[in-house]
Amino acid sequence: MNDPVGLPDIDPIDRLAILAAALPGAAVRHRRIAAPFEAVWRVIADLEQATPRYEPGVSQVRVIERRGEFLRLRVLDTAGREEAMDARLRPGWCLMQSATVVIAFAARELGGETLLAHLEHRRAQPPVTGERASHHRREALAKIDQELRTIEGLVTHDER
Amino acid sequence: MDPEDVAAAQEGDALALDRLLDDLAPYVHRLCARIAPAVADDATQEALLAIFQGLSSLRAPEAIITWVRSVTVRTAIRLARRHDPEQAEEDALRGRSVSSLEGLVDIDDALARLPVSQRVVLVLRIKEGLSEQEIAALLGIPAGTVKSRLHRARAAFREEWEA
Repeated sequence: MNDPVGLPDIDPIDRLAILAAALPGAAVRHRRIAAPFEAVWRVIADLEQATPRYEPGVSQVRVIERRGEFLRLRVLDTAGREEAMDARLRPGWCLMQSATVVIAFAARELGGETLLAHLEHRRAQPPVTGERASHHRREALAKIDQELRTIEGLVTHDER
Repeated sequence: MDPEDVAAAQEGDALALDRLLDDLAPYVHRLCARIAPAVADDATQEALLAIFQGLSSLRAPEAIITWVRSVTVRTAIRLARRHDPEQAEEDALRGRSVSSLEGLVDIDDALARLPVSQRVVLVLRIKEGLSEQEIAALLGIPAGTVKSRLHRARAAFREEWEA
């Protein structure tokens, strides 16, 4: 991995920062979770069971196709609308995208604990500026923080 | 690299961005490792951040590699100089002697021992295959300067190089 001229594996957290750089308005937060990487990733990777428990707008997720790292999902929101999502999932990296939203998780081991980063981005939204933009951003970050806390709860609950 | 994929990434398709990152990261890292070997990982991350931040403004998706090379080289030079500015300049003034490079067999090791300004032109000429004019345009310096830096750099380790 540190071969000076070899092929690098980009650290997932760094990878998420690069992705966010290309998605204007994307909101990203990090949380250090006092649990091993495997325990945290077990929750993130369990898209069907775990997602509706931390994402307030989602009532059901179904994996309808799986080709290696690449998944096709059917997501039912709490208002009863169904949306297709494409996803890429591997240890430390989860990227999901529909026509309207991008969701990503990245994780790395950190001294026996886990650093988890979470990105959310609304696609094809008209640019919002000024005070309204700041308000939207604060709301988006607060939502992500809440989801990260919920995920931490799921991890530590599962660990017990 | 498929221009349609690049165009999709420019439009904010996150999975296309993810694929593009897979495609570009090895190249960006290789270039950074040669120009800024002591800080290759940091230079790679900074270059990729700059590339992805500026991606939507790239007018010609088919020219992405030329643009990526340019952003990466400028980022790597900046970090290499920041890492070791004094030595880089002193080396440039004095010129490294061939004797300090004796025993080196690996060209990347030899490159790493050159001052940044010479190392960059050699990497672009030898590893990237750019002409002196293309290097001058990329670095924003006169072609004559490129020529003289190439001459000095080659003189510094001709033996290792041609062996």
